[in-house]
Amino acid sequence: MEAIWLYQFRLIVIGDSTVGKSCLIRRFTEGRFAQVSDPTVGVDFFSRLVEIEPGKRIKLQIWDTAGQERFRSITRAYYRNSVGGLLLFDITNRRSFQNVHEWLEEARSHVQPHSIVFLLVGHKCDLDAQRQVSQQEAEKLAAAYGMRYVETSARDAINVERAFTELTRDIFELVKRGDITIQEGWEGVKSGFVPNVVHSSEEVTKSDRRCLC
Amino acid sequence: MLSSWDKWMSKKHKKGQICRVWLYLCGGKVKMEQNAHRFQDLDSQPGDPKWVDVIEKDLHRQFPFHEMFVARGGHGQQDLFRVLKAYSLYRPEEGYCQAQAPIAAVLLMHMPAEEAFWCLVQICEKYLPGYYSAGLEAIQLDGEILFALLKRVSPVAHRHLKKHKIDPILYMTEWFMCVFSRTLPWASVLRVWDMFFCEGVKIVFRVGLVLLKCMLGSQEKLKVCQGQYETMELLRAIEPRYMQEGFLIREILELPVSERDIEKEHLSQLRLWKESRGELRCKSPPRMHGARAIMAADPPSKQDLRQRPTITVEFPPSSKNTEEEKDKKKTNGQKTETSPPETANQHLLPQDQLLPGQPQPLLKDTPLQGSNQSLSSAEHDTYL
Repeated sequence: MEAIWLYQFRLIVIGDSTVGKSCLIRRFTEGRFAQVSDPTVGVDFFSRLVEIEPGKRIKLQIWDTAGQERFRSITRAYYRNSVGGLLLFDITNRRSFQNVHEWLEEARSHVQPHSIVFLLVGHKCDLDAQRQVSQQEAEKLAAAYGMRYVETSARDAINVERAFTELTRDIFELVKRGDITIQEGWEGVKSGFVPNVVHSSEEVTKSDRRCLC
Repeated sequence: MLSSWDKWMSKKHKKGQICRVWLYLCGGKVKMEQNAHRFQDLDSQPGDPKWVDVIEKDLHRQFPFHEMFVARGGHGQQDLFRVLKAYSLYRPEEGYCQAQAPIAAVLLMHMPAEEAFWCLVQICEKYLPGYYSAGLEAIQLDGEILFALLKRVSPVAHRHLKKHKIDPILYMTEWFMCVFSRTLPWASVLRVWDMFFCEGVKIVFRVGLVLLKCMLGSQEKLKVCQGQYETMELLRAIEPRYMQEGFLIREILELPVSERDIEKEHLSQLRLWKESRGELRCKSPPRMHGARAIMAADPPSKQDLRQRPTITVEFPPSSKNTEEEKDKKKTNGQKTETSPPETANQHLLPQDQLLPGQPQPLLKDTPLQGSNQSLSSAEHDTYL
């Protein structure tokens, strides 16, 4: 039987090539770490259920993207239908940190008329000896953009659960408050199989539409 | 040669010979002769740091379990670097695309760096022009072409993908850009590549269509994948039996999708593209449908095809087979004299000469067969 979930959130994972996007997602969805991972060509996707409160499950659909700039013409089509995103940089690679701003711009210009709740992720934190970006500096940048900051390691399974769950909770709060609503033709948030929730979210959508008309 | 292909293969076709055939089929040999020392020149240059940086990051991530690429900084990875860097210098406006690495790696498993380089050049410029260029328009356009062709090959699969809004780019990008080298079992990869070098992109389309048809082609199968994600999951884990060499090759041979179908669809999709997105930003050279078309467009001289002793070591891709090379030289020579360029594009595989499951001939277009082939291609065109 299909597991019952309240909502389905679609997340997108972006960031420079080789910062570890695919490895982080694999660790989260499959619980393992691959020493070597093929460069992602185009887009790929994964899913997992997350329990944010006892009995309240959210299904996450996680979209993995190719990091090379050349693939942006393909990947940018997937921002629009995402409600949340993990923006990764590699703490041992300063340039990937400097490109964070560019990634945010790229996302913002292609997500209209929606918006994405981003989480900034400093990845490969097990390689502390080679660190090129301090935690403080990254936190400052995240705060400037109104994002949370988490440091993760797919290899040592540090904060991987936390990164995805925190982002999911934040989105869930926004959905509960009605700041994010389910809309037809938008894949970012979908309601699940619990009858009550389906009912109430449909009402939200309807009232929303009335306002627009 | 064709009538006793199996015997001929087992006798003369030792592992490592594929390479020679690929190099000759794609016109890489001619390019190499006409541009002597070009590779060495490029090889000796440092390369644009912008590209070198990305290439270096990808070296250890290509077929990491293959003996050739397993060692960090080993000869396989070094050659991979040389070939990719040389290409980024050869076409500085194109640079390096991450999907080129698996292509170059497969080539290097069968030939030395210089030959692999010229094969890569031919793939990027003749077989799949624009696939790796900035903007990736050519691959997106081929996605639309694939989807339009699927409507005829498997209306059920087409309807399902459309209903769940699954863009072709979602499932075909890696298939096409890496010519299935990261998707199929190895025996099938080699067979598909043999056919691809002979016949061109048509083979890539056919493999894609066969896989889609097998996985999503019946209502029963679709019952278990009612959503977008479930469908994508199914396409990511294709059942091994559909990718198994014997089955797959037979299906590819039987699928009636010709160059003409692809070209026709190309025109309609291009029109739609221009209507919705405007002119293409990257103007690519026209696509060449396989060895014959390339040969006809750029007739080689005898000089270009002469065999030079390349490797003399008794090691993997050896050069023991001078006799076979002579054969090929002859065939190639005849080809240019006898096949008129305007029909060169329309030849299909000589299907009637192949029993299902038998190896695919690498060089099948002797003048005698030419007439048979045009007949069969005409039949196919009316079929669709």
